[in-house]
Amino acid sequence: MDGAMQEDWVENARMIVDSARAIVPADGSLDRVRRLRAKGAGFERDVMAQAGALGLFLMRVGEEAGGLGLGLRETCELARVLGGGLVPEPILSTILAGRLLQGALPETVAAGEAVMLTAWQDAPRSLDWQGGLGGGRLSGRKVAIPGAEGADLFAVTTAAGVAVVPADAPGLTVTAEPTLDGGRLGTVAFDGVEAELLPCPDIGAAIGEAGLVHCAYLLGLSERALAITLDYLRVREQFGRPIGSFQALQHRATEMKIEVELARAAIFATARRLDTGTGGDAARRGIARCRLRASSSTMRVVREAIQMHGAMGITDEADIGLFVCKAMVETGFFGGAALQRRILSDLLDQGDAA
Amino acid sequence: MSTDYNAMSDADFRAMVRAFVEAEYPADLPRYALHRLHWSEVKPWYLRLSARGWICPTWPRAYGGMELTAGKHLIYIDEMERHGCARVNDIGPVMLGPLLIKHGTEAQRARFLPRILSGEDIWAQGYSEPGAGSDLAAVRCEAVRDGDDWVITGQKTWTTLGMDANWIFILARTDKTVKKQAGISFLLVPMDAPGVTIRPILNLERDAEFCEVFFDAVRVPADHIVGAVNDGWTIAKALLGHERVFIGAPRLSASALARLRLQARAGGIWHDPAFRDRYVTLACEVEDLADLFETYVDALRDGRPIGADVAMLKICQSELYQRISDLGLEIAAETAGLGEPPDGDIRLHAAATWLSARPTTIFGGSTEVLRNMLAKAVLDLPS
Ligand SMILES: Cc1cc2nc3c(=O)[nH]c(=O)nc-3n(C[C@H](O)[C@H](O)[C@H](O)COP(=O)(O)OP(=O)(O)OC[C@H]3O[C@@H](n4cnc5c(N)ncnc54)[C@H](O)[C@@H]3O)c2cc1C
Repeated sequence: MDGAMQEDWVENARMIVDSARAIVPADGSLDRVRRLRAKGAGFERDVMAQAGALGLFLMRVGEEAGGLGLGLRETCELARVLGGGLVPEPILSTILAGRLLQGALPETVAAGEAVMLTAWQDAPRSLDWQGGLGGGRLSGRKVAIPGAEGADLFAVTTAAGVAVVPADAPGLTVTAEPTLDGGRLGTVAFDGVEAELLPCPDIGAAIGEAGLVHCAYLLGLSERALAITLDYLRVREQFGRPIGSFQALQHRATEMKIEVELARAAIFATARRLDTGTGGDAARRGIARCRLRASSSTMRVVREAIQMHGAMGITDEADIGLFVCKAMVETGFFGGAALQRRILSDLLDQGDAA
Repeated sequence: MSTDYNAMSDADFRAMVRAFVEAEYPADLPRYALHRLHWSEVKPWYLRLSARGWICPTWPRAYGGMELTAGKHLIYIDEMERHGCARVNDIGPVMLGPLLIKHGTEAQRARFLPRILSGEDIWAQGYSEPGAGSDLAAVRCEAVRDGDDWVITGQKTWTTLGMDANWIFILARTDKTVKKQAGISFLLVPMDAPGVTIRPILNLERDAEFCEVFFDAVRVPADHIVGAVNDGWTIAKALLGHERVFIGAPRLSASALARLRLQARAGGIWHDPAFRDRYVTLACEVEDLADLFETYVDALRDGRPIGADVAMLKICQSELYQRISDLGLEIAAETAGLGEPPDGDIRLHAAATWLSARPTTIFGGSTEVLRNMLAKAVLDLPS
């Protein structure tokens, strides 16, 4: 890759991250996140509007289609910032809708005036997205959609393309269950919903990319949870010393750091490969590896974070708990670890596999 | 005097406990609950056990207990587990009772034991403080002698179900001039005494399972001390001996494994070879733990002393419990973070199991502190 391109993405990412600071408080405050728990759909429309105004929903829309045409690295940097702030708004879901719909992403959605979420997943523990059609209409269901009750529109993936449907379309029902992070995880059911299907040549690839971007959200979450834990190790004293001076904890904190760095390296290297032309099985393999790494590192960090906080770690009032709960809710998204292992083992004997 | 249960065969005893539990466990009480229930919920069950004379399985019969041997006690626990009986507010039966029987005065035993047996008194354990967790001997909550009273000022925290208790026993600083372990006394304090306030603490499931307890010049009579002045540390430590064996019992891991199996069946992955590989590994570990546990039970049965090495059992059990719960969370994938159990079946709720497994490596001696202790006391490694 030439130097100019390299600098391009770094500069773009810096701008995106700077603009995301409008959403993620610079002082790290989690007051808003706390306040939003168990309220309504689990997110604020105002913040979605802000994200729209910042152009975030156009990141993955090509320039020729009126978007920003940014790469996965920039999108991952954004997701990382959102994860560090535990931002509950389904911004990544709308970015995926933009990626799928390109120029057909409604202007109101791009501007953040209407909330569009992507409904792609046919069932838990799978990456199947082709369902949802029956007799030329939408039928069946799509699962695991955070914030679904707050959507005005859904971008629904099917074997025949992507349908854009209003949330109040006849025959469409949204249900949701509360999650431990104070959010709500939705299912959208379709009973013969009329919809126009827009062609999209690479839905599977787009969903794979979204899975990678979500890894970066988990990365941001783990980095911040690690930082909070390290701070605690520095200030909490027992036996007349900071507990961070005990070698037993120092070694484990180091392990946490190594895990996080491996996740960061894997995610951004994979994003770079995808940005620079890698596709097909190699892309699928890279993404599955990142999902495995991101889920194992995230869970390790939050497990250790609880342990190192002692009883404080299992309280609602300590911020670290917000990270623990979010990790429990989101680590298994995009199919969960068992599915990633299956994908990787299926690809073992394929082509250039290692 | 009451029945000599130890004279029964194990099989008869088991059948008797099972029949009682099946007949008497209140139908409206949750079964297999992972969170602690409050006194308002479990009271009927406590009272039924109490009425049967079974609320204090380990106490001597002379004091109203069942005086079960270690083997019989395990059967008792086993049958409660099997039915999924909720844990009652058991600090009185499990901790304070045995402690008073060993270190209390006859007057204290006469006053407090019957009220534990009847459920009139519910006790809480007030050891930890904000500044004294792993370093428990650093307690600062202070008791000063004033005439015939102790005057207590300070704070306790992480007091499990403290809001349900009408009494709390505390470790209080009674001498600041000596080595920290040597200046601590064991005191009994009524929660309704003037100057006691509590603040509930929410846990990650946003339940108030524990609380902070504040003491502002709280007066208790001089005879509310157990053991000698400044002897509290020794007394509190002695209590850990036999109880540690039971904390290390494999039942939490075994029941987590059973739940994992149910979850895998419900999720359609029970026959998945990759899952089985990991399940079998964990299942073997549970059996190994059970065998290790047996060696300690044998020692108890034969009346041999339990050494510091029993901490290994607690480490194994709590960490295994956590690893089993980690796999449960992992296979739940997208549904791992749901706040409510799938299909209303608590046993399928991976998140609840995962969360309930977390504190087991923190309380009762954190795994780090126990490892430090084992390295010195058992492995004889240098400081
Ligand atoms: C669910 C729950 C219920 C509880 N109920 C009660 C109760 O009813 N009554 C009561 O009195 N207490 C109760 N406790 C408190 C419990 O006893 C303490 O949490 C425990 O002693 C640890 O103290 P801490 O939480 O302050 O952690 P800390 O002591 O601050 O420890 C923080 C971390 O540092 C580690 N650490 C500390 N010292 C060392 C060292 N020397 N070397 C290496 N690592 C070290 C610890 O292992 C831990 O990982 C409860 C706790 C929990 C979680």
